Amino acid sequence: MSLFDARFYEFNVHLPPDADSLTRFALEAKRYGYSGIALINSKTDRLDNIPQDFSIYSAVEVSGKPSKLRDEVKRYRAGRDILIARGGDEEFNRAAVETAGLDILLQPAKFNHVLAKAAYDNSVTLGFNAGSIIRLRGEARVRELRTMRANLKFARKYEVAMILTCSPNSSYDLRSPREAAALAGLFGMTEVEAVRAMSAVPLDILRRKSPDYIQEGVEVI
Amino acid sequence: MTTIPTLRDKKRYIAFEVTSEQIITRSELSEEIQNSVSSLFGDVGANEINAGLVSFERGYGILRCAREKTTQSRAALACINKLRGARASILVLGISGTIKGAMEKFIQQPPNKDS
Repeated sequence: MSLFDARFYEFNVHLPPDADSLTRFALEAKRYGYSGIALINSKTDRLDNIPQDFSIYSAVEVSGKPSKLRDEVKRYRAGRDILIARGGDEEFNRAAVETAGLDILLQPAKFNHVLAKAAYDNSVTLGFNAGSIIRLRGEARVRELRTMRANLKFARKYEVAMILTCSPNSSYDLRSPREAAALAGLFGMTEVEAVRAMSAVPLDILRRKSPDYIQEGVEVI
Repeated sequence: MTTIPTLRDKKRYIAFEVTSEQIITRSELSEEIQNSVSSLFGDVGANEINAGLVSFERGYGILRCAREKTTQSRAALACINKLRGARASILVLGISGTIKGAMEKFIQQPPNKDS
């Protein structure tokens, strides 16, 4: 049995808001070996022509001032959407990891051990954006790789959950799980960690979003 | 020139599929792969990986690389996002030890994902 016999999820998909591109993207994602995606800031009620055995979840990207972040998260929390914050300056990252309802903090550039501990305590998942390796070249890519290598070190030390995404804007930005794992290998992530970051961790987030879930260790059976 | 088997470079052949907005030629793809490999791993890395486009027809291609460097070659292929200015993406179908194997297994009969 191969390491890659798992169900893979891509949790950071930005698409133009028409049903046609969603259908095309879903077909392509299934062909690439994914079992589900989460669409950012987009309506997921018109779900026709979606391939079988493929699920589409909705996600919200929260942003704005660090002081407003908590209110924003509270507002969306009841809606069972996956909440994603894009890493910003240190103040923003601090606010993000200290907000218990937030699910993913994507690619924070200035991360440290204090933030890592807080992320673990509030079960905020640390996101790694493999899309930046795909799209950037030269010095910018070196900088992103360095950020990711540093974040990986903190995540390992403080056991923060990691999630790996390609952040696709169209079906051309999508990469298969094996390719994503190879890209993650460029900054030191092992294959096992990469597979976990694309299958087990997303599934865990979905479990926490299910209506039966109350808090860690308590759920309706 | 042929050499004795133990001294041959050990290779792997990566079968892949290109999805692009435009029709691309073999030489364009070959150039882009070399660019991607050298920008990602530098001149020394590119030499160790020993990447070379073996064949490319109708969107399906085979890339040669060193046996120990398949992961790096995959990463280099994944880093290609534009071909001749048009958006593109490459999906690896499989890896084989021979060109014939890569052809027969992955390109002539693309593997059925469900089985």
